[in-house]
Amino acid sequence: MDLHALQEVLEHIRPSVVFYLGPVRITTTVVNTWIIMAILLPLAYLLTRRLGTVPRGAQHLPEMVAEFFHNLLEETMGKEGRKYLPLVGTLFIFILFLNLSWFIPNMKPPTTDLSSTLAFAVVTIVLVQLIGIKKKGLKGYIKHYFQPTPFMFPLNLLEELVKPVSLSLRLFANMFGEKTVVTVLFLMVPVFCPIPVMFLGIIMGVIQAFVFSLLTVIYIANLIKGH
Amino acid sequence: MEFLSVALAVVVAALSSAFSQGIATKAAMEGIARQPEASGDIRTTLILALAFMEALTLFSFVVAILLWTKI
Repeated sequence: MDLHALQEVLEHIRPSVVFYLGPVRITTTVVNTWIIMAILLPLAYLLTRRLGTVPRGAQHLPEMVAEFFHNLLEETMGKEGRKYLPLVGTLFIFILFLNLSWFIPNMKPPTTDLSSTLAFAVVTIVLVQLIGIKKKGLKGYIKHYFQPTPFMFPLNLLEELVKPVSLSLRLFANMFGEKTVVTVLFLMVPVFCPIPVMFLGIIMGVIQAFVFSLLTVIYIANLIKGH
Repeated sequence: MEFLSVALAVVVAALSSAFSQGIATKAAMEGIARQPEASGDIRTTLILALAFMEALTLFSFVVAILLWTKI
């Protein structure tokens, strides 16, 4: 493959500028995130409009997700884990929809852009640190950096700093790789060949969204329980 | 020749991570077979471990893509 083919592949994946808002470039990433939000908000309203004690019909769907994360939080943190359900559940559902948005034709999914996944990761990690400060107090929070011995301080600091990088790169690289493989296959053999990889893409999207929220749960649990 | 190096970067990473994922999955399946009631716990831990292994391949994939665009 020469450089020309590479340009063609990347053109399908890289976010492009839609319009300018003053000096700010509004790329397809932002616009597609807005579209997903526009889909997700009415959907959430419709699904939770008439909540019954006994779920029926479409109410099963959100209840399944909520129950799954409820159980997960209770297993890892006990009773106090319940109040983090909105955070973790929202992250899961939002990232899931962003990941699966590339089945809409001509849509560049926002998670194939590093800036959007980095935003997710930074927001999550800052929130986790704030939760830790609130739970342990400022003194206890600083103390946890020196936990086993004071020698461990650089390593502990490094661990906290690497978290957002690995969290964002994992999501980004998974979705980017999936999309690249499908695009290359599509350019070589347009008929039938990309379909198995696209199925893999569905599974990957669900698993990556789950891994992102699972890691959030584990970071919170680590900070609350302490070493 | 440059393309070969880019391909090799991904291939080595994918090979080693596939190998380690296989080992981890084997151990998890043996654990489930021996103790089916712990399957939920094992599954969650397995997915987490697989994600960590997968991440290393993906890092090298990102590096390879960066190299590819540089050539």
